[in-house]
Amino acid sequence: MRARIDLLRWPLIGPFLRWRYSRFVLQLPLLLLAVLAIYDGFVGRQLAPKNLSTVSVWLHYRGLLVLAIAVAGNLFCSACPLMLTRGLTERLRRFVPQFTWPMRLRNKYLVIAITLVYLFAYEYFDLWASPWLTAWLMVGYFGAALLIDAFFPRGTFCKYVCPLGNFNFTLSTVSPTQISARERQVCLDCEGHYCVNGRVDTPEGPRPLAFHAQAEGERYPGCETQLYAPQIESNFDCTLCFNCVRACPYDNVSWEVRSPAREWAGVRYRADYVWLGVLLFFAGFMNAFAMIPAYYALAERASELLRTRNEALLLGLAFVVWVGLGLGLTVFVAHWASRLAGIAEGGFAAVRRWGSAFFPLSFAMWAGHYAYHFLTGWASIVPVTQQALGNLGLPVGEPNWQLAALVPENLLYPLQVFILYLGLMGSAYAAFARARSVGRGTAALPVFLYITVLVVLTLWVLAQPMEMRGTLLDPGSQPGGLK
Amino acid sequence: MRMRRWWVVWLLLIILAGCKPPGAEPLDADVSIEPWPPQVRKSLITVHVPEELDVVELKVVGDMTHAGMIPVHGEGERQGGGTWLVRDFDINMRGDWILTITAKDREGKTYEKEVRFTVR
Repeated sequence: MRARIDLLRWPLIGPFLRWRYSRFVLQLPLLLLAVLAIYDGFVGRQLAPKNLSTVSVWLHYRGLLVLAIAVAGNLFCSACPLMLTRGLTERLRRFVPQFTWPMRLRNKYLVIAITLVYLFAYEYFDLWASPWLTAWLMVGYFGAALLIDAFFPRGTFCKYVCPLGNFNFTLSTVSPTQISARERQVCLDCEGHYCVNGRVDTPEGPRPLAFHAQAEGERYPGCETQLYAPQIESNFDCTLCFNCVRACPYDNVSWEVRSPAREWAGVRYRADYVWLGVLLFFAGFMNAFAMIPAYYALAERASELLRTRNEALLLGLAFVVWVGLGLGLTVFVAHWASRLAGIAEGGFAAVRRWGSAFFPLSFAMWAGHYAYHFLTGWASIVPVTQQALGNLGLPVGEPNWQLAALVPENLLYPLQVFILYLGLMGSAYAAFARARSVGRGTAALPVFLYITVLVVLTLWVLAQPMEMRGTLLDPGSQPGGLK
Repeated sequence: MRMRRWWVVWLLLIILAGCKPPGAEPLDADVSIEPWPPQVRKSLITVHVPEELDVVELKVVGDMTHAGMIPVHGEGERQGGGTWLVRDFDINMRGDWILTITAKDREGKTYEKEVRFTVR
């Protein structure tokens, strides 16, 4: 019996998370920030480094997200202000028809498609550079959450649609915490399955909310994404809403500290989960690659070869070639590893077997990249917030724009290298643990070599002189200066 | 009644989408950078403003289009004939840049112009 550390047993944390309004307290500051950021994005100065919408979304949200996942868990889903639309959704439900989410879409393939479209749009429309588009992106997110959860069962948006939430789910496979059941037997004896079904405290005692929706009494909704606490073995699909904790009448749900390596080594993920993890690695690589001169040189070369200046076409081609190549190579390498292990299985089944090796690396890729942006500009949140509040007429003083960067740049690359090495170690551990579990340790070698090459390539990208992403094709120099 | 509330929300969103940020008076100026095409190095920025504006102070701020980048500031030196020079303007990274030229006239009225360029 391994010793367990349950964070819900800790003073302050436990009582706070059991409190029914704890999520609202976490969501409220982010909601206020989102409202201010949307306002600034629409009416503030359209200059990305000096607008709260672009700074908060593209610097702080992303940087703090990976930090929170690394040290605690998927706290940003926990504090997600989009879910504050739930009150409105419940009202809307009275007027709109209700549908069940189609079986064909009950997986991550729609999320994968949306993520690809989103990443393409990020590059093509220069979302990072446009406060106005960033504000619309936020409004679109709120609208989509509202509509999807109005027409479909609650939690549908988080589980099957939201690219950000699913990005968080995938990366939180490296988190040091996880929701779990304290005593498995208590769950086996539980007839209400309150952690999933929710609970309503009737005068006759607790009843599952899902089956007693009209019953009078205090209500505790169950898991938004339909996870059953004793069966949780990964952070995938867990929004850390702690509904399960509050709904369980036996106080049998824990938020325990764990080693993520246990998950990488032991969990056989569904194929769609693995594809999402693999895609995020290659998309993350491309996201970083798009910030170095070699990317622009390649774009110019492709433009000459194809005799086109159409950026959508060139960008689309880059996505298809790079992501397609990455996914294809992954199938090949996984299949090779399975053959070495003496397992006769198709390429996709092999990806499912070895794919967990990608999760630590995917996390490291995004964490390294986001750390760069966050640390170069973390203090800029102060002057942009000052400016946004100033636009509202509040006396907040003159913004100091020199606060943009306070971390020495020469520390950033070593930090990125360190994060990537950690990711490589995690991925290598996952690959070899899986190989050992099938009785042939050497079967992990193709995967190990593959991820090593990918890490070296990533290091090469990070070591290049960084440029801020911008116009894909050189606009050319106009003689006579700028007008 | 409820439907009316939704119409109000819709109307507010549409109005919000049509909002445009307020700005200073536009500045009709010619801006040039030396060396051209711009490179990652200290550069000379020349700004020609109409003499009739009677500009007494001119500042140039360079921002990249990515959030989190520290801005570069430059003070203009008056050369006569409406020409102002900003020396040693530190273009410190490749990528897309936005120069904001702010001129102030004798009465304290400010004029602004934005120009964009790409450093490769």
